[in-house]
Amino acid sequence: MPVAVLGAKALLAVMLLVAGGAKLADPDSFAVSVRLFLPRRHRSGSPSEAAGLLTSQASARRIAWAVALAELGLGGASLAAPASWPLNLAVLAAACCFAAVSGIGFAFHRGRSCRCFGALSGRKFDLAGLARAGAVAALAGGAAVPVTPAAVALTPAGHGLLLAGSAFIAFIAFTAARSLAVSRDALPGMVS
Amino acid sequence: MRIPLYLAVAQWALLLALGLLVVTAYRQLARVLGQAGTPAELGPPVGSRPSQIVYQPIPVPAGEPPASDRAEPTGLAQLEAMLAAAADAVRVFTPGHGQPALVAFVDPTCPSCEQLVVTLSAAQAAGELAGLRVLLLTSDPPAYLQISPAFQAAGLEIGRALDRGDLESYRPSATPLLVAIDAGGVVTKAGTALRAAEVRAFSQSCLVPAPRPEALLPVTT
Repeated sequence: MPVAVLGAKALLAVMLLVAGGAKLADPDSFAVSVRLFLPRRHRSGSPSEAAGLLTSQASARRIAWAVALAELGLGGASLAAPASWPLNLAVLAAACCFAAVSGIGFAFHRGRSCRCFGALSGRKFDLAGLARAGAVAALAGGAAVPVTPAAVALTPAGHGLLLAGSAFIAFIAFTAARSLAVSRDALPGMVS
Repeated sequence: MRIPLYLAVAQWALLLALGLLVVTAYRQLARVLGQAGTPAELGPPVGSRPSQIVYQPIPVPAGEPPASDRAEPTGLAQLEAMLAAAADAVRVFTPGHGQPALVAFVDPTCPSCEQLVVTLSAAQAAGELAGLRVLLLTSDPPAYLQISPAFQAAGLEIGRALDRGDLESYRPSATPLLVAIDAGGVVTKAGTALRAAEVRAFSQSCLVPAPRPEALLPVTT
C-alpha cells in the first residue's frame, strides 16, 4: 500500500514536471488553448470588430506562462518534499482543476487541441481526454493518503537529488517538445 | 545506510518518465517524418464546411495609402511599429456569414505564392473580387513579408493562423493553395491557382448561389 501511494505521488509530480517543461517550450501555442477558456468581450460577426472577440493575446500568453511555471514549481516541490501535506493538497487541487478544464473543453471545445503536453502530444478535448483527467484526479486522491513518516523521511542530500532530478526531467521534456515543434514548422505547407 | 522507500520509488518514477519521453519523442518524430515523405491531399473537399480560423492580422508596410500628410517612419521602423500595434489583435475568419470568400494559403518565401498574390491583387484592383472577402494566410514569420515586394504591394488582408488545428480542415499541405467558400460556408473549389483565368474561376465558383435542394430532385411524371 505505501508503495502505491508513494508511486502515485511521484508519478503525479513527474507528470507535472513533464507537462510544465513541454509547455514552456512553446508557450504561444499553449496560449491558443488558454484563450478558449477566457471570457469573450464582444460577439460580432464582422471582421473589423472581431478583434475584440477574444481576450487579448498577451493575457493568454501570461496565463500560459503562469500555468507552465506553476506546474514546474508544484511538480518539483512535490517530488522533492513528499512529506508536505499542503503540497499533496495542492496537487490534488491542480488535478481537480485539470479534470474541470477537460470537462469544459469537452463540452464547449470538443476536438480542439489541449496542448496539455505541448508538442509532445496531440491530445484533444475528447472523451478519452476526459477519462485521463479523471484518472489523474483519482491518482491525486490516492497520493494524498497519509503514509508513515519513515517512508518519506529524506535527508537534505535526498531533497537535493530529487530537485536535481526534477530539473533534469523538466529540461528533457522542454528540449524534446522544442525539437518536435521545430520539426513540424520545418515541413512544407501549413499543417503537419 | 538505509534508503527511504520514497527515494527508491521516486527514482523509478523519474526513470519511467525518461523512458516515456524518449519513446514519445521518437514516435512523434517518426510521425512528422512519415508525413513529410508521403504526399498529402491538398485542399478541402468540395462541398465540405471548413472550420473558422483564428489569426493574427499582419499589417503591410507598403501599399497602403497614407492617413495624412504628416511624416511617418518608413521601412523597417514602420514595419516594427505596425507589428507592435497589431501584436495584440486577434481576428476570426468564419466561413459563410452570408459573404463568399477566397482564402489563399501563401508564403512570402514561395515564388509561386508571390505569383498568386500578384494575380489576386490585380483582380482586386480590377474589381473582379467585388463582394468577396479575400484573406491571405501565411505560416512564415510576419517579418518575412519584407522580402516579398508582391506581398508588400498586395493591398489585401494578410494574417497568420494562431492555431494550426484551425487549418486542418483546409488541408494546406503545400502552398500556394486557394480555397473558394460560398456565402453558406461551403467549399466550392480548392486547389492551386496562379493565372488570372484560374482565379476568376475560383471567384465565380463561390459567387454562384448554390442550387436549392428541391432543384436537385429528379422530376417524375
